[in-house]
Formats: sequence, structure tokens, C-alpha cells
Amino acid sequence: MNIYKPDLMDVLEVNQHTADIKSVKIAFKDKSKQQDFAFRVGQFGIFSAFGYGESTFNICSSSTWKDYAEFCFRRTGKVTEALWRIEPGDTIGFRGPYGNHYPTDEWEGKNLIFIGGGIAMPPIRCAIWYALENREKYGRITIVYGARTVGDLVYRDELDKWAGYKDVKVIRCVDPGGETPDWDGEVGFVPAVLEKASVPADNSVALVIGPPIMIKFSLPVLSKMGLADKDIYTSLENRMKCGVGKCGRCNAGPVYVCKEGPVFNLEQLKRLPEDY
Amino acid sequence: MSAVISQTELRRLVDGWIGQGVQVAGPRQVKPDHVLYALLNESGQLAMDGFVRPANSIKEFVYPRHEKLYGYRLNEKEIELTDVELPAKPQVVLAARPCDAAALPILDPLFNWDFQDDFYNRRRELTTVVTLACNNHDAHCFCTAVGLAPDAERGSDAMLFDLGDGSYEVRCLTDKGRKLFDGKTQSSDKVGQAKAAPKKTIDLEKIRSFINGDFESPYWQELTLRCLGCGSCAFTCPTCHCFDIVDEGNAAGGERVRNWDACQFCLFTKHASGHNPRTAQGQRQRQRVTHKFGIYPDKFGDILCTGCGNCTRNCPVSLGIFPVLDSIQKVETGAVEAA
Ligand SMILES: Cc1cc2nc3c(=O)[nH]c(=O)nc-3n(C[C@H](O)[C@H](O)[C@H](O)COP(=O)(O)OP(=O)(O)OC[C@H]3O[C@@H](n4cnc5c(N)ncnc54)[C@H](O)[C@@H]3O)c2cc1C
Ligand code: SF4
Ligand code: SF4
Ligand code: FES
Repeated sequence: MNIYKPDLMDVLEVNQHTADIKSVKIAFKDKSKQQDFAFRVGQFGIFSAFGYGESTFNICSSSTWKDYAEFCFRRTGKVTEALWRIEPGDTIGFRGPYGNHYPTDEWEGKNLIFIGGGIAMPPIRCAIWYALENREKYGRITIVYGARTVGDLVYRDELDKWAGYKDVKVIRCVDPGGETPDWDGEVGFVPAVLEKASVPADNSVALVIGPPIMIKFSLPVLSKMGLADKDIYTSLENRMKCGVGKCGRCNAGPVYVCKEGPVFNLEQLKRLPEDY
Repeated sequence: MSAVISQTELRRLVDGWIGQGVQVAGPRQVKPDHVLYALLNESGQLAMDGFVRPANSIKEFVYPRHEKLYGYRLNEKEIELTDVELPAKPQVVLAARPCDAAALPILDPLFNWDFQDDFYNRRRELTTVVTLACNNHDAHCFCTAVGLAPDAERGSDAMLFDLGDGSYEVRCLTDKGRKLFDGKTQSSDKVGQAKAAPKKTIDLEKIRSFINGDFESPYWQELTLRCLGCGSCAFTCPTCHCFDIVDEGNAAGGERVRNWDACQFCLFTKHASGHNPRTAQGQRQRQRVTHKFGIYPDKFGDILCTGCGNCTRNCPVSLGIFPVLDSIQKVETGAVEAA
């Protein structure tokens, strides 16, 4: 088998979220593969725009959805620029699923705190939907999501949907200056908003994904709230090419992020050198 | 008793293999004073002596510098992917150095953990490595410091020893090797021997303790300050194996290929966000040394270096790995002032 050859996927739907973020729903051209496709939330794929190359994105749909998979990307370079132009009916390539996943089994019976910044919503969104669709297995769910401006929030419609579920609290925030006159969410940086919100942290796990600076300042807040390092999770974004442990690009010290990550808890992360 | 083949007979054999459609590679003088492992059209091109080792390595015959992974074509909105035919031609790499041959079994587990790389594996199966035990070494060789030797057998299917009289002793080490030489040699009482081994040493414990120590040690930057980040070390290294995957062609059709890459390049780990975990050359050198002497042995059981010295020989500023290792030893023994 050629481990580098992708499957061909039909583009079913494209949604634009912000000036530079779109999400795409895709399904295997080979219908039986779509039926058999299994992954765990937190895993990623390598997506192709033929003629331009490959890019790594999280699979941001829930593993409970069988008809399609979804990814969400920010336009930033060669491949994402090409993907920006795709329309329903087009074909792209997909390899995966790769990497480890969120330990959703271990999280059962716990309260979940999701903290995301900007384009980091997609890798959290899959876990949120997964938890909501297995609602009885999880306790309270708190979602703190921030972006630079109101216009930079992704999956805004879903934020409202999530807020409608029982025992789910959604806190939206934008950076100071990023608000619009009708903005009814918080104004402030994610770590500060998180601290102010005094989220109950008993029997909880947290998933924090966002720009390095946001993660850096959110961690002490979570520790102060009483979360142990082993209960705080994040997903690394080391640059990748092969996704299968060969190309030598993704290692953070001794770990190959594409195979042993991208999901790590803080306890594991603290053992790694700062190579991410 | 030993098995011996004359230089003339060996060349006749090579021409025979080429005639049968076997791809033969070996040291070849491509320019005055410049020997590379290259494909041979006829045995006259084979350079058996008069140099220390080729400037490149044999890895390119199992893991080419540039390799097509598959093709793509766009018709209307339909994309069609076309498979690449895996190579089918048997291949002999002749007069490889032991420090080249050893790299292949060291790389095998990397190309096979979980995901099996058929491109590599197929070439590996098709390849017979005939090593020539080293007759000489230079100031850059340090095979003995990493557990190898001028006559180390690892990775070789057969090994030749120059008997100094226009003939070679042939030691067949695997079935592949026997297949090449069975019935082609004469029995003799002459036994070959590798010549003097390199004397350079490395205290591997000290290297370990340094790389397991302060990740942010300022020494990394200091010891490697002159590195230009050109990547020559990685490209000529028998064991460096990083690659990039890119498209060649346009949206209408083309191919997806992999090309060698190197951790010494400044964009190697740059995230799309602009964040780069390794912004300084010292951090990139730390990666190269740590990967070879810490990460790889821990994961795959072998030091990712055969002591061939190519990285230093080919370095425009005479750096490469040994001088860095040597400086690290000095730091560890306190022979260097605190940075
Ligand atoms: C596990 C993982 C999950 C990820 N999940 C997501 C996700 O869900 N959504 C998402 O949007 N992204 C995600 N990413 C990031 C994503 O992979 C990259 O944004 C994407 O690959 C960019 O590809 P590109 O070809 O468009 O950019 P490239 O063309 O590779 O360029 C990206 C950036 O690199 C820099 N660059 C490139 N070439 C040069 C050069 N020659 N000189 C200087 N700078 C240069 C530029 O700053 C450019 O903006 C993830 C990454 C990982 C590793
Ligand atoms: S060590 Fe030498 S060969 Fe390697 S990147 Fe630096 S300058 Fe180039
Ligand atoms: S690191 Fe240098 S000495 Fe070691 S195998 Fe590679 S080129 Fe040879
Ligand atoms: S992405 Fe290639 S080794 Fe991890």
C-alpha cells in the first residue's frame, strides 16, 4: 500500500466563517469507505489540493457523524489559498486519520471545560459535539471561546445552539477593541475572561487550544482553579509533512507529534522540552 | 581458506550484471578529485581506490533525493490519481563503505514503524550491498567511536578486502551476497584485513548527559555559531532522512513528490502562524545532534550516525557533527569556560 496516497473526497459543502476562515464538509468518493470511516475526536488528517500540495488540519466533525467529515481552515499560504477556491462538487484528497485522540472515555463522568481562541475552535468543536451527543456520560460543560474581533469568531451559530443544551454554559469574548455596538458577550482576553467567570472546576478536565500566548496565560488560571496538570489537555501544531512518523519534521524533543500526539496533557507537556 | 576474486574478474562480473539488466552503482570519479556513488554504465567507471570515501552516501539508491509518490490529473472536475510503478530492477551497490552500508539497517525501523514505506522497502529488497573494507581513513572518520569499524559487516551482503595484489577476498554474509559471488571466486589461503582504524573517540555518556541536560543551554548556540544552515551535512549523510512532500505540475496535472529536506533549514519547522519553535541555528543543531544521539537510539535502538565524517568533509565551515560532539565533551568535562 502507498501510505502517501490520499483518498479522493467529494466536497459537499463549503461555509465561510470569517474573512479568512472556511469550513468544508467532505465525503469519500468510495461510498463503502465513507461507511467504514472511523476516527476519534482529536485526530487530524492531511488534506490535498492537487497541484498545490498538502496541509494538516484537525478533523472538526464529531466521530458520531457518519455521512461526512469536516475540516475548517484559515487561509494563510499556498495550499490553504488553493483550498479557499474550492466549491461543492470539487474533489480534494485526504489521508488519515492520524495521531492520538482526546481521551473521551477517561473523561466520562467529569465536567468539561473547553477553552479556545480564534481558529482553534474547530479542534475543540468536534469534542464539544461528541460530548453533547453522549450527553449522559459527561457532567457540566463550560465553553470559553474568544477571538480578536466579533468578525473573527467561527461557528457562531453553533455557539448559540450549544448554549441551548442543558447544563452547558457558553462564554464568548473578543479582545478589547474587537467588539461591535451590539456585542453582548465579554470583552477581554481569554485567560482574563476565564478567571473572571469563576467556572466551578471540581471533578473537571479542561481542553485548551489556541495561540501559544493564550495557552501560556490560561494554564496558570486553570491551575489556580484547582485543575491538576493531568486534567488539562491541549493539542500541538508542530509543522508536519508525512503524518506517519517518517519525514522527521514534527518532533518536539523525543516525541513525534504526528504519531504520539497531537494531544497531550499538561503533565506530559511539562516533561517535553520547549520544542513546539 | 578464503574466496578470492581478481580485479579484472570483478569488473567482468560487473559488466555481466549490467548486461543482465541489473542496476549497478558504485564509487565513480565524476570530476578530478571528486568521487561520488553513482550509477555505472560499465565497470570501467568503478573507482576502487585512491580516495577515502565518496562525497555522498548510498542512501540515495534506496531512498532517492527526489521521488514521485503518485501522479494526479484533472479532467473537468474529476481528479484521477495514478500509481507509480515500484522499481523492479535488482540493484547492486558495489564498493560501498561500511559506514554507508550500516546506515540501511539503522534506517529500516524508521521506514516501518506502523506505517510501512513501500518505496523504501521495495528498493531495499532489490538491493545487494557489496562493501569494500576500508584501506584508509582521514581526519574526519570516526566509525570506531560509534561502534563500527573499517570492516564492520552491518548492512553488507558481501564484503571485499583489498589483498594488495590486484585481487580481493570476498566474504559473503547473506544469501543475497552468495547469489552474486557463488562460483565466481577462487579459493585461496590469502586472508584480507582492514587497515588501521580511525582513532577519534566520543564519550557517548557525556553526550547523553549533555543532551539530556539543559535544553536551553547557551552552548548550543555558541558551539555551532559558524553554521550557515546550508544543509550539506544532512544531504551527504548516510542516515539523515528528513523529507518534504510537494506537488510538481499545476492544477491540470502533475505529480506529488518527496524531496530530501534538512532540519538545518530555517523554515523547516516554521508554523503557518509564523511561530517557529527553532528560530536560531543553535536550536537546529541541537535538533540534529539530539535526534542522532538521543531521540533515535531511544526510539529505534541505534545511534543515527555511522561516523563516516561526511558532514564535516562537506561542510563549508568545517563543522558537521564530530566537531560539535567534541566541543560538547569539552563542555561536559569542564574544559570550556561557562558560556
Ligand atoms: C496537527 C495539526 C492540526 C492543524 N489543524 C489546523 C486546523 O484545523 N485548521 C487550520 O487552519 N490549520 C491547522 N493547522 C495548521 C495548518 O496545517 C497550516 O495552517 C497549513 O498547513 C498551512 O498551509 P499552507 O500551504 O496554506 O501554508 P504555507 O504555504 O506552507 O505557508 C504557511 C506560512 O508559512 C510561512 N512561509 C511559508 N513559506 C515561507 C517562505 N518561503 N519564507 C517565509 N515564510 C514562509 C508563511 O508565514 C506562511 O504564512 C494544523 C496543523 C497541525 C500540525
Ligand atoms: S553544519 Fe556545516 S554543512 Fe551542516 S548546515 Fe551547518 S554549515 Fe551546512
Ligand atoms: S552525522 Fe555526519 S558522521 Fe554521522 S553518519 Fe551523518 S554524515 Fe556521517
Ligand atoms: S509529520 Fe512526518 S514525522 Fe511527523
